[in-house]
Amino acid sequence: MPQRAHRRLRTSAILAGAVVATLALASCSSGETPSADGPVELTFQSWVPNIDQAVDAFNEAHDDIHVTLETITAGPDGGYAKMLSAVQAGDPADVAQVGYDAVPDFLVNDALEDITEYVADDADRFTEWQWETGVFDDRVYSIPQASGPLGQFYRKDIFDSLGLAAPTTWEEYYAAAKAIRASDPNRYIAAFAFNQAPWLIGLSQQGGGEWFSTEGDAWNVAIDDEATLEVAEFWQRLIDEDLVKIEADFSSEWNADIQNGNVASWISGSWADAIVRGTAPDTAGSWAVAPMPQWSDGETVSATWAGGSANVVLKGSKHPEEAAEFALWLNSEPESVSILTSVGAGWPAITDLESIPSLQDDPEVFAFYGGQDIWDVFAESDAAVAATWKWPPLSQTLFASLTDNVKAAVEAGTPLTEAYVATQADFVAALEDKGISVAE
Amino acid sequence: MTASTLTPVRRSRSRPPAALWVLLVPFLVMFALFFVAPIVFAVVDSLFAQKSSGLGLTAPTREFVFMDNYVAALSSPAFLASLGRLVAFSAIEVPLMVVTALALALLLGAAAARFPRLFRVTYFMPYGVPGVIAALLWGFLYIPATSPVLQLLGAVGIHANPLSSDAVLFAIANIALWGFAGYNMLILIAALDAIPSDLYEAARLDGAGEWRVIWHIKLPLIRPSIVLITLFTIIGTLQLFVEPLVLRPLTTAISSDYTPNLAAYNQAFTQGNPNLAAAMAVIVALLAFAFSALFLRIVNRKGNRAW
Repeated sequence: MPQRAHRRLRTSAILAGAVVATLALASCSSGETPSADGPVELTFQSWVPNIDQAVDAFNEAHDDIHVTLETITAGPDGGYAKMLSAVQAGDPADVAQVGYDAVPDFLVNDALEDITEYVADDADRFTEWQWETGVFDDRVYSIPQASGPLGQFYRKDIFDSLGLAAPTTWEEYYAAAKAIRASDPNRYIAAFAFNQAPWLIGLSQQGGGEWFSTEGDAWNVAIDDEATLEVAEFWQRLIDEDLVKIEADFSSEWNADIQNGNVASWISGSWADAIVRGTAPDTAGSWAVAPMPQWSDGETVSATWAGGSANVVLKGSKHPEEAAEFALWLNSEPESVSILTSVGAGWPAITDLESIPSLQDDPEVFAFYGGQDIWDVFAESDAAVAATWKWPPLSQTLFASLTDNVKAAVEAGTPLTEAYVATQADFVAALEDKGISVAE
Repeated sequence: MTASTLTPVRRSRSRPPAALWVLLVPFLVMFALFFVAPIVFAVVDSLFAQKSSGLGLTAPTREFVFMDNYVAALSSPAFLASLGRLVAFSAIEVPLMVVTALALALLLGAAAARFPRLFRVTYFMPYGVPGVIAALLWGFLYIPATSPVLQLLGAVGIHANPLSSDAVLFAIANIALWGFAGYNMLILIAALDAIPSDLYEAARLDGAGEWRVIWHIKLPLIRPSIVLITLFTIIGTLQLFVEPLVLRPLTTAISSDYTPNLAAYNQAFTQGNPNLAAAMAVIVALLAFAFSALFLRIVNRKGNRAW
């Protein structure tokens, strides 16, 4: 009896195997000849956690296109290298997640398909500055997904117990830093994240720094502009007086400090809400979000965590049209954008925020932040982002050189301002080495 | 029958039998494909550069720049500093590794050793842990907030920071030491086991103690193995990559071009300059070749092979 059952099992296994093989063959052939017999097969590379939910929603809504998600390392940590190598090898994914800052890098490497003809008509569904990050010479190269407008995540319970409100100006921030430092030998207002170029850049941008602009056919580079140096001097003061903890964010040490309240706040992008919740679930209810501290009283200047994320169609994709269709749907269809927002992908790039259910009410998120509708803060922050910020090519070189120089300054105890001066020189040299014009 | 068995012998002198080729060809193919070809590719790649123009938003062109990438690498203060760091690291790591492996091997090979097999496995075990995992684990142990060891030391008033700039090379050397000491120890133990035991017996009869046996019998006889592990370690240290890469986010003391390999990786994968990366890789390869050759020359200098 058991033997017979066994045999039956084997027969059905063989049958199942044969079916799977046939299906696999069928899907292979359909991949090369679209729409003839089966859906077009696309691959999508992303590092956004749980983005598979949005991909599944797309697949459910489409019979003619099927997208397979390939989860990769975050772009700057190796994902971009993988994408660019695949483009060079002639076997890229169809759609890929790329930071706004990295789109010019991909153009320099000739790794993007021009998708103007497929998506140009949809431009007005997106906020202008986000859409424009993917437009070069009137050609569209990416669909914006989400940005990271900056805000302050802070431990309201700790601030309250010290009689502190969330700082509205940087002077108040300094005072709060002192009070928090004095309250406990292990406690700091924030970590000075020397490892995070996007964070450092966001702070400069919020301070009024405008590092890159074009002048005809050449780049103006102003990494050591006055606004940036003032921001650097401010953080220098916090470092000198031991008011911030010199510590890499996202490190295990930082995670522990967020959990135990030794780091009491974090200036970060809107998507950081998911990270705070995931890192310190036990602190639910004690966090709140406030707008960015201002350099002048009464202003509402904001910035982003080095832009945001876009979806591009990689050069060499066999189905650029379908790929563009997927990228467009993923980032503008309310159903999908709602999923993206709730999984923490970032602040939606589309203008019609009313249509996003997860932004209207998200019990889990709001409860974690003591019942606060934190999206109000980020909606305002997003509207206050200086839309003139431009990314040049070689942003990864910029990031590497900035963190190296800031690390060196912190390590050697030399002024932070010098790190920005050095980065300016490094970056101009890097552009010129590549043959890119720099205006003097 | 006899005639036909004789002929192959004569023929083999003029050209090798077909069987030899059958055995050699797979190796030669692999060798060409995975060793020679990448080197040739890297050398060729290092002579070119990707050049853009204007705003740099259009496809780049590939230009022959001859030695420019080598000049750029060797005139970069950061790359030169990384080469210097590597030499300093080798100076720490190589003697540390050889002495540790040797000490472990001799201890386990001593007649008085207890549970030699158990300890052998224990010392070898870290080698089975991938370098990345090992570096991650040590990262936890090096950070005061997560390290029970440092917290314990802190409680008694010792505030150590293994990731500060003056200690970080030793911190890295420590990770590498744990990873490879057991491996090198096994090579030495194999050599020790190959020593005929009657030599020990004779020495004991002549009244030699444990130290004299080590000095006059064991060390001279396992000399080739010691040379071998030293060479492995020299080559290994020149490839230093994983440990600083993993520890980098945790400390201000490690830059993105801390070692030459890291600098090459950084150029290739973050800064999008594979040509400069190829030049850096070729420089490291030449350095490894030069160091190994120099070392072998020194140890093989005399026929009598005095230490």
